[in-house]
Amino acid sequence: MTYQPVLTARLGKIDPASLQDYEAAGGFQALARAVELGPKAIVELLREAYLLGRGGAAFPAGIKWKAVSEAPAPKYVIANADESEPGTFKDRILMEGDPFALVEAMLIAAFAVGAEQGYIYIRGEYPQAIARVQHAVNTCYNAGYLGRNILGAGFHFDLEVRKGAGAYICGEETALFESIEGKRGFPRLKPPFPTECGLFGRPTVINNVETLLCVLPLVLRGLDWFKSIGPEKSPGPKLYCLSGRVHRPGLVEAPMGTTLRTLIYDYGGGVSGSGELGGVLLGGAAGVFVTPEHLDVSLDFAGLRTIDAVLGSGVVMVFDTSVDMKAVLRRIARFFRHESCGKCYPCQLGTQRQHEIVERLAAGRLRSGDLLALREIGQTMRDASICGLGQTASGAILSAIDRFGFDEHTGRFLRFDSNW
Amino acid sequence: MTTSSSVSPTAAHLHLSPRQATAVHAILRRYRGKGSAYLLPCLHDVQAITGWLDADLAAQIAESLDIPAVQVHNVIEFYALFYDHPVGRTIVRVCDDLACYLAGSEAIVRACAAHLGLDPEHGGTTADGAFTLEIHPCLGRCEQAPFLMIGDEAHGFVRPEQVPALLGGEA
Ligand SMILES: Cc1cc2nc3c(=O)[nH]c(=O)nc-3n(C[C@H](O)[C@H](O)[C@H](O)COP(=O)(O)O)c2cc1C
Ligand code: SF4
Ligand code: FES
Repeated sequence: MTYQPVLTARLGKIDPASLQDYEAAGGFQALARAVELGPKAIVELLREAYLLGRGGAAFPAGIKWKAVSEAPAPKYVIANADESEPGTFKDRILMEGDPFALVEAMLIAAFAVGAEQGYIYIRGEYPQAIARVQHAVNTCYNAGYLGRNILGAGFHFDLEVRKGAGAYICGEETALFESIEGKRGFPRLKPPFPTECGLFGRPTVINNVETLLCVLPLVLRGLDWFKSIGPEKSPGPKLYCLSGRVHRPGLVEAPMGTTLRTLIYDYGGGVSGSGELGGVLLGGAAGVFVTPEHLDVSLDFAGLRTIDAVLGSGVVMVFDTSVDMKAVLRRIARFFRHESCGKCYPCQLGTQRQHEIVERLAAGRLRSGDLLALREIGQTMRDASICGLGQTASGAILSAIDRFGFDEHTGRFLRFDSNW
Repeated sequence: MTTSSSVSPTAAHLHLSPRQATAVHAILRRYRGKGSAYLLPCLHDVQAITGWLDADLAAQIAESLDIPAVQVHNVIEFYALFYDHPVGRTIVRVCDDLACYLAGSEAIVRACAAHLGLDPEHGGTTADGAFTLEIHPCLGRCEQAPFLMIGDEAHGFVRPEQVPALLGGEA
């Protein structure tokens, strides 16, 4: 483990309320370098680095930035800090511990694409992150990093912190626009895509907090450094949210493509509970379960596709063999039923029926045809839902049933041997 | 804490103290004419004073921002953090999602419900209006599971026996 963390390097080492601390620890050097490079070169750098979005969908950030940089003003940049995927806590830790870094990254994004207004949309249940980022924004206004003619470089940028209001769906980018616009968080039909028609109908760059923070070391250290980390097809540093039955849960910064084995045994200190690994949930409730056979798969966007899994927002939740998998699946099904916004029927009805069947499964009262129905509902939601919520609402549940050996006759998961 | 039941949401009206009313008026003045994009910030600010949002307040907010009243109602109804019925002075959010479940959240939920005299399945509000208990999806603190929030205060690695001291009575 010779990797030197960059995204988390300042956490716990600086006072998150102090601009002086931030500057003394290298803060705002990336912005200065970005201004030297100029907008075109920054966008090009992002494209060549092939920085993939860290919020879940793994879309190349450079493509979005380029499209918006070429679009007519007014345009917007948004930091998606709504972080509500179960198992995800990385963006909160970054914002609480290093809030000026997010402001600096937003400034670079705005400078690169030519936006004069930006928003940081933070989950409402993150009061400390909201307070610290708001303080950082206020401090940056006073210090001349925000507002008119920043760094004397002749560009202007206003940045507003917005507080979410308890809706998982508002992390979906178009629902987030609706929310900032003062409406219910109903996702929009795509296309048009945000780069063309986003917030207030204008071209918009929206990126996850971690994606944005990756831009700082990329600008400072350059393309070769970035590409030297992780696999060629999805390079760069990565934050993994390690939780569940490990001895040392926590945020791990490691090269993209670190293996499950390294995360669980080196960083996490091994499996707790029974001590025997039963399975791992990757990507959160919207993700999928994998088994111990997958311990050596590279945890990156491309590597996981080879085993029909996803990295999503970086959730790595560990389950030992003593876990009651039925109680786990009940919670996943309940989550999607509650969080479905109800705009489209496949998801609104599908998440309800899925929850009912999973409740029966958990109670040992499956009816004949229930499992088949569960698969069909999953397929319909995947194919016919408007947004990612419905499209992913069945993945974790079906993967558990398939990969953990659910036996319809005994009502047990063969891999998990607790005695219900 | 004594046994209590949920506060009935029917026909509830907010009774603002003079101080609250002054504070709300100041907020509404600040948002005057700002339009739809300021609806969520305005709702957050007003609710921070009043605890919840009744139909009368919603109408005043609509008028101040100069947007349709129905939009304000729809938005309040949509978002979990906005309340259209009376809630306790302190909201207790206990995470019962995956990582917290793996760390024993069921016992934390039971301890909270027992201490407040509420239903462990659905939570609710104590009769004295001091607390509302919410059984919550992941609160983004899974590395500190099991986790709960008392108002804005974060409490990680909670043990069931700590719950009475954490919730106490009301200060
Ligand atoms: C239901 C749903 C919830 C989402 N929640 C989040 C979230 O909380 N944070 C986030 O960054 N992206 C979230 N996304 C992904 C966003 O739609 C979008 O892809 C992302 O903000 C783009 O940023 P990135 O390319 O930097 O990842 C969510 C998507 C869906 C479908
Ligand atoms: S898929 Fe679900 S969450 Fe997405 S728009 Fe349809 S109902 Fe809403
Ligand atoms: S599961 Fe409880 S905080 Fe994430």
